[in-house]
Amino acid sequence: MAIYGLWVINKAGGLVYERSFGDGLPHLTSNEYLVLAGTLHGIHAITSRLSPTGSSSGAHVISGETFKMNILLTATGTKFVVITSLVEPNADSMLQKVYEIYADAVMKNPFHTPEMPIRSEGFDARITTLLG
Amino acid sequence: MTIYSLYIFDKHCTCVYYQDWHRTVRPKTAVEGGMLPAVYAPVYPSRNPDDASYSNRNTLSSSSGIVVAVNDDAPPASQVSQSHVAQQPPQPTSSLPFDEEAKLVYGVVLSLRNMIKKLSGKDEQFTNYQTSTYKLHLYETLSGYKFVMLSDPNADSLRFVLRQIYSGPFLEYVVRNPLVDMDSRERGIDNEYFRMSTDRLVRGLTVFQ
Repeated sequence: MAIYGLWVINKAGGLVYERSFGDGLPHLTSNEYLVLAGTLHGIHAITSRLSPTGSSSGAHVISGETFKMNILLTATGTKFVVITSLVEPNADSMLQKVYEIYADAVMKNPFHTPEMPIRSEGFDARITTLLG
Repeated sequence: MTIYSLYIFDKHCTCVYYQDWHRTVRPKTAVEGGMLPAVYAPVYPSRNPDDASYSNRNTLSSSSGIVVAVNDDAPPASQVSQSHVAQQPPQPTSSLPFDEEAKLVYGVVLSLRNMIKKLSGKDEQFTNYQTSTYKLHLYETLSGYKFVMLSDPNADSLRFVLRQIYSGPFLEYVVRNPLVDMDSRERGIDNEYFRMSTDRLVRGLTVFQ
């Protein structure tokens, strides 16, 4: 039951925040994270079109063999992605809490430009207390 | 708990087989030249109605799933079921033609596979993803064939079902069938035995409603 990483993707598909926890997953360069986030943004859009029963949301869980990714798409188009081990049961509530912290520490910060990379100590500190 | 559809892709990245069960939004006919013959009869854009590969005997009515045998001397029972089929309201069709839809499915599967492999650093397999209305399961064989199944979102991993389809009907009626050219770039692998036995296998599952 472990969390491996957290990404925040803006509505254009660009990665604005990335954090890795522990060493469950290998560390990639920041360029590689940017590319992966963009790919995920596109995949999320396509998955909503492939539904065999009319309209659907995009993918909200993507599973591999040893880890899974939970994705929360907010009403404003921002995506929160948390990468955890397969058995983690609280991923969705974790994502909601991260969204609340984002609303508090980032959106209400008058010095933060929307859709730009997040550089906020308050956000970092609260994420560390929440996710370790 | 139900299963919507099944796609099979070969190592040349083309869709070679498709079958659906409970899909509510019908697939639209493919554009001319977008699709191989012998993949799925109802969406194949054939100009001549008596195309040799799809004779009159293969008439699986896709809107109801009932096999309506079309013969010259049709018995009265099939007349009744035919009129019943005609009275059902027309079902919504997907906005995408079938060949584009198959390509999108393949693209999503390929991109997700690469992403998971990159993230994990080892040779890790992407297994499934879930949206609010469906769940997509992937099983990839060593020979490069990808079995993709769409089911309802509450299903557990159906990889074992895809494995069963591979080791059962696929090996029997496709690999060991001398009339099916597996590596051709011009034909799919649709044949009666394979379609019937996969249908039987899927309908016999406990997760199939």
